[in-house]
Amino acid sequence: MTSPWTRQMRALLLKDLRLELRTRDTLVAMLLFAVLAMLVLQFAFQRVESDLTRFAAGVLWVVMALTSILGVGRSYVAEREQGVLDGLLVAPVSRLVMITAKALAIVAYLAAVEVAVVPMVGVFFVKGPYFSEIGWLILVCLLADVAIGVLGSLLAALALHGRARELLLPVIFLPSLIPVVIAASGATHAITGGPNDLAEYRGYCLFLLVYAVTFGLVTYATYESVFDD
Amino acid sequence: MTEALRGRGLAVSGSLAAVLTTLAVIGVFLVAPEDADQGIIQKIFYFHVAIAVASLVGFLVACIAGLLYLRRREERWDELSATAVGVSLLFSVLVVITGSIWAKASWGTWWVWSDVRLVTYMIVVLLYAAYFVLRSSLEGERRMRHSAIFAVAAFASVPLSFYSVRIANSFVHPVVFTRNGANMPAEMLVWFVVSVAAMLALFTALVHLQLTQSRADRALRRLKSALEV
Amino acid sequence: MVGPNGAGKTTVLRMVAALLRPDAGRLAVMGHAMPDEAPRVRGAIGYLGHQPMVYLDLTAWQNLELFADLYGVPRPRARIEELLDRVGLLARSYDTVRTFSRGMAQRLAMARMLLHEPTLLLLDEPHVGLDAPAAAHLDALLTDGDGRSVLMVTHDLERAATLSDRVVVMRAGRVALDVPTAEVTPGELRRRYEEIVA
Repeated sequence: MTSPWTRQMRALLLKDLRLELRTRDTLVAMLLFAVLAMLVLQFAFQRVESDLTRFAAGVLWVVMALTSILGVGRSYVAEREQGVLDGLLVAPVSRLVMITAKALAIVAYLAAVEVAVVPMVGVFFVKGPYFSEIGWLILVCLLADVAIGVLGSLLAALALHGRARELLLPVIFLPSLIPVVIAASGATHAITGGPNDLAEYRGYCLFLLVYAVTFGLVTYATYESVFDD
Repeated sequence: MTEALRGRGLAVSGSLAAVLTTLAVIGVFLVAPEDADQGIIQKIFYFHVAIAVASLVGFLVACIAGLLYLRRREERWDELSATAVGVSLLFSVLVVITGSIWAKASWGTWWVWSDVRLVTYMIVVLLYAAYFVLRSSLEGERRMRHSAIFAVAAFASVPLSFYSVRIANSFVHPVVFTRNGANMPAEMLVWFVVSVAAMLALFTALVHLQLTQSRADRALRRLKSALEV
Repeated sequence: MVGPNGAGKTTVLRMVAALLRPDAGRLAVMGHAMPDEAPRVRGAIGYLGHQPMVYLDLTAWQNLELFADLYGVPRPRARIEELLDRVGLLARSYDTVRTFSRGMAQRLAMARMLLHEPTLLLLDEPHVGLDAPAAAHLDALLTDGDGRSVLMVTHDLERAATLSDRVVVMRAGRVALDVPTAEVTPGELRRRYEEIVA
């Protein structure tokens, strides 16, 4: 017999994935947006520099950070528009389970987008892409996704009832996201951008871990108040 | 009775701030020795760093008051938290401005991206400006609750921003510019401590003033509505 | 519970369901102080609001499966099948709720509410927007004498008088009348209600 927490978490996550698989609203929009952002960045840089290999790591994580706003912003959309939130809140589900399940759903969206975006950045921005470091890169992606997911599920819940919440979320979300962009692009650059400096890589990855744990603790300290009207 | 006490509290913190600030200005400009390398412009250091210290203390106060609000659900903690964020945000803007002036004077440029503290403070300003965006888009009890949660999350973001900016800089190039701070001669250190005390007193007085004003506002509104009924 | 719009009926219901925290005063549900002990009470409450509170892009079965997992319903498959049959949606189990009429969605919501065999039902104007079969299902449910307590907010005085043991009339956030239905005739109830509202 599984514990109630894992059972509820699995049910909530499965629900979000099923909804997304059926409607495909969020993922399609995120992918198109990511490609557009890459295109815009390439136009911004290409005037000064024709070989953008050195910028590839930065491009990847700027694109992912901006794209994550779409995913995070949509994360409670079904509950809100279809009025299901009350249905979940009257059920005997810990609010921590609800927020964690949302974080996992965001991680799943981001990972799905990265599956397409990472190779695209490789093709569009890196001269002579190579795949020997892909394992290290996957670890960076996962750590960054978890960091974004932990922060995003909490802030999305805060913005849920706000006026003009589409505008609100980027404003409250992006400043806290800057460290993730710095660390993830730093780690990516460390293993793909030439220096191949593993100490640097480890430092950035450790930072991402600390970041995720810190906001995990913030969520843990405040989760009971998020939905407590 | 309590109103009179509160008024006296404001008078005390106000005069303390006035005395200490005057003392700091006199000490810094007339008594403390002039810096051998930087000359008169180094004096901005006393205020730049002192304001930064005071604003960090203010954000800490906001975070603690936020946690207390979540625990006790008393409006006064929300008031304190919001006021502390407001005054500290003002101080942070001053930190960025004084830092920029100092950068111009000592390095000949208004903005230096490798100055960790300056860049961090820019992020901090964005972070806490978002606090008020969130706050103004929410209503009623939820406004206080979600503001409190955000005050906690934002405070967790401050050290993360600082370290991410720092590791990014230290890996790209070693820290070249060090402003004298750690090994300060004793006669400078004394006036630095006085400046910090002055800015903390100023912070307290401003928070006090703002709280008194918003309480008076509330009392006035209550009276008005009582008269209308 | 009856009363004019804005009397605070839904607010009371939401506080009992631990969806709202009371600003002042004390509230106990089934002997547990709310909202502090809400986690112990939630599993025993079935809540039906204005909206069906089901996901439009999931099938009827998937919706019930989700809530069965959230409530920890034992042998969920059998239970879901039984309830879908009972509300007459078994044939539509694998259709998404988006294709349902309002009445059908509300019947699914009833199944969702009953999934975990709650002992206290909280109903917020459950008859609004129901088609005839759904309303019949609901009335059958309310009178089947399964030993459940029901707290229903309604505008329908006649239903209130016939279905319940006790009628509470609310006005401007206060209880204006609280009588056992055995002690008043429907006509008398109507007259006193009009008096209170006016």
